[in-house]
Amino acid sequence: VLHTTRPLHTTQQCSAPLPPLPEKGGEVRYGLIPEEFFQFLYPKTGVTGPYMLGTGLLLYLLSKEIYVVNHETVAAACILTVIIYGVKKYGSDVAAFADKLNEEKVAKALAVKNEAIKDLETAIEQEKKEQWRVEGRSYLFDAKRNNIAMLLETNYRERLLTVYNEVKKRLDYQVAMQNLKRQKEQDHMIQWVEKNVVQSITPQQQKESIAKCILDLKALSKSAQAAV
Amino acid sequence: MNLSFFDQFTSPCLLGIPLILLSMLFPPLLLPTPGNRWITNRLSTLQLWFFHLITKQLMIPMNKTGHKWALMLTSLMVLLITINLLGLLPYTFTPTTQLSMNMALAFPLWLATLLTGLRHQPSISLGHLLPEGTPTLLIPALILIETTSLLIRPLALGVRLTANLTAGHLLIQLISTATTALLPIMPAVSILTTSILLLLTILEVAVAMIQAYVFVLLLSLYLQENI
Repeated sequence: VLHTTRPLHTTQQCSAPLPPLPEKGGEVRYGLIPEEFFQFLYPKTGVTGPYMLGTGLLLYLLSKEIYVVNHETVAAACILTVIIYGVKKYGSDVAAFADKLNEEKVAKALAVKNEAIKDLETAIEQEKKEQWRVEGRSYLFDAKRNNIAMLLETNYRERLLTVYNEVKKRLDYQVAMQNLKRQKEQDHMIQWVEKNVVQSITPQQQKESIAKCILDLKALSKSAQAAV
Repeated sequence: MNLSFFDQFTSPCLLGIPLILLSMLFPPLLLPTPGNRWITNRLSTLQLWFFHLITKQLMIPMNKTGHKWALMLTSLMVLLITINLLGLLPYTFTPTTQLSMNMALAFPLWLATLLTGLRHQPSISLGHLLPEGTPTLLIPALILIETTSLLIRPLALGVRLTANLTAGHLLIQLISTATTALLPIMPAVSILTTSILLLLTILEVAVAMIQAYVFVLLLSLYLQENI
């Protein structure tokens, strides 16, 4: 049976945006009792009100044996000691660990965003640089043109040098040929003259020259002896 | 109320209605559901981190087909850990001290691993009955031994968990009874017994977590053999 007065669809039917989580949890006294309880009793009973209530309740339960002190009490005391010790000692570390996990999660997402932003900024700068490069295009082409002209010029000069060298080689050859011919003629002439001279020396002349030589030697030896 | 030593192991009953189902379903209710947020509160973050840790530890040695068991094993682990740890509080009933519940968890899961192995890769499953490198003469005996050990597994799983937790709870009760009884007579010895009880409590916390882990780990090992 559906009461027609019951309101239907009173929420907003949309999850987003989620309300943010509160930064700190509710204030709690002695780890169990929320502060609101103390604030609730404060106007009527003041500061000690809730404590009196707690003490009274505990004493009532104990004295009327509604709560019986038996072995479970001791066991309860022990396990509570262990729990409270654990919470006090490691509580803040565990909380810091949980916070760190959340921080890492957020940091990873932020890192992705920052990486993307950085990449896009680098892309923008590179694009601007490319645009600047485009402006210098004419200078580039002029330089290239100059290079090509220089290359052509160099090539032309090299070929000119080659031509010059070739021509010089040919002319040097001709000059060398002429010199050789002249040399050969000279040598041949000298040989022919010497041959004829040697042939013309008769035996009579040979004897006369040998006798003259002996006379000269004698004269020389006399002068030499006198020198000694 | 005056308690005997059996009272913490009796399945709770209210006006004739058995409350075992409620006591089994209550511990998971203490774990918050993740909800729709990206950055959750500390408890949810820690819980999520813990579940990831468990799932990773269990699933790393398994191949892809075994990953179908991830939800089953992780949720089993979480259930056992919460039930065991909550049972350490006073006046609570621990469902895992009941052999019936542990056998109900162990036997079907073990049987599932066995049947999966026999169905999909029968020769490999049967091949596990003979360890490598056994001398030829010992083969018949070893097969019998291995078959026995295979068939004993569900019993071992269930009884291990039951026995550990029951023994622990019983010890806590006995030692706290001793403390209570000695308090008017010899307070010094009573304080000594209290210190023993403190140490025992710390041990029981450890045992609660370890036994849950061992249960699930052994199941995952049986699964790895057979999948």
